[in-house]
Amino acid sequence: MTIETIQTDFRRKVGESVRLAGEGVNRYRVFTPFLFEDGDHLAVVLKYEDGRWVLSDEGHTYMHLTYDLDEKDLQKGNRQKIITNALSVFSVEDREGELRLVIPEEQFGDGLFSFIQAILKISDVSYLTRERVRSTFLEDFHSFMEATVPVARRTFDWRDAQHDPAGKYSVDCRLNGMLKPIMVFALPGDDRVRDATISLLQFERWQIPHRSLAIFEDQEEVNRKVLARFSDVCEKQFSTLGANKDRIAAYLLEAMQA
Amino acid sequence: MAEVLTDTKIAALIAEAKPLPEDYIRRVQTKPKRGHRERELDLVGANGSGFRLILRESSFNALDFSVILAWLPPQSTNPFRLRRYNGRSHEHTNALESQKFYQFHMHLATERYQQSGLREDAFAEPTTRYHDFAGALRCLLQDCGFELPPNRQSGLFEAEGVQ
Repeated sequence: MTIETIQTDFRRKVGESVRLAGEGVNRYRVFTPFLFEDGDHLAVVLKYEDGRWVLSDEGHTYMHLTYDLDEKDLQKGNRQKIITNALSVFSVEDREGELRLVIPEEQFGDGLFSFIQAILKISDVSYLTRERVRSTFLEDFHSFMEATVPVARRTFDWRDAQHDPAGKYSVDCRLNGMLKPIMVFALPGDDRVRDATISLLQFERWQIPHRSLAIFEDQEEVNRKVLARFSDVCEKQFSTLGANKDRIAAYLLEAMQA
Repeated sequence: MAEVLTDTKIAALIAEAKPLPEDYIRRVQTKPKRGHRERELDLVGANGSGFRLILRESSFNALDFSVILAWLPPQSTNPFRLRRYNGRSHEHTNALESQKFYQFHMHLATERYQQSGLREDAFAEPTTRYHDFAGALRCLLQDCGFELPPNRQSGLFEAEGVQ
């Protein structure tokens, strides 16, 4: 099949605006009207390898997606499902990040049609990139504690210097000046809840006198099992900061006066 | 919808001085991923703005690369792409001008493309200023207010090179 015939077949199946341009030996750039959302066209190369014609994106599609997404995110969750499905439906191979389609029995037009469909489907994962408003919870917690507790009565990021010089079991804020200091934890998510659980268990083990208080960013978002384990070791909890500032302040003031 | 940045604000962010760290050459060496190499370097501008230098180069095609300067808005996790210097691996179409070309090209963030509901950097201009990844990086650093560390005031990559 000549390159002119291949181009004609491409045009017949995909569109009149498809064209080919030679780039090296047995290698052609395939120009199509299909775009990513930023105006860049899909990258498609037709090359002759090991006795067969192959369409390839030469790794461009995934690279383009990583302008907005972490490469690891393409390999998990819904994005991975969309990509796997597209590859399967259109018989496209992912070879170490290069998308490839071997032209079946000189059906160049059909091959290009499937290849473009697969890339467009895969590029849809960029629409799953949601705007996320950065949480100000930890900053808000810090400001609240500064406003509520006198500076001499609080230590942020406290650790037990004797048992824990490396600070592996730190406390977001420790209130002092009472028989049992209050360890206050600010908890934005599951990971920090787990850390706080371990810290409180360790304090028990080290027999450090203390009381404990937890303030969640949003307790309803915490995994139930994680929360259950934490509830076994934490004395007092507030489900959010914003809606409970007055209650938390009253609790802290009463505790400091005791 | 994300806030539309005016051309004035975009220009100010590009012009804001961006001191490079002492070890910046080491930190712009790209690392292999699936099908491409990549690296990112976060910086703080002289006015306190957060920026990210995003580097991508294809493992298959030396002409396929992207050197990006993004601004990191304080209240968002979505970087805003101020400039993106691309290689010659694909055509580009400027939707508002119906202009299409197949050349090395520089994407520029514009107010009018944002107002049209398009990506902030969907407008691009062809260029002959660079022909490879290192050249594109050099141009971006020259164009966007980057400042070399005090003891490295000569060429950008003359000794170590950029992969």
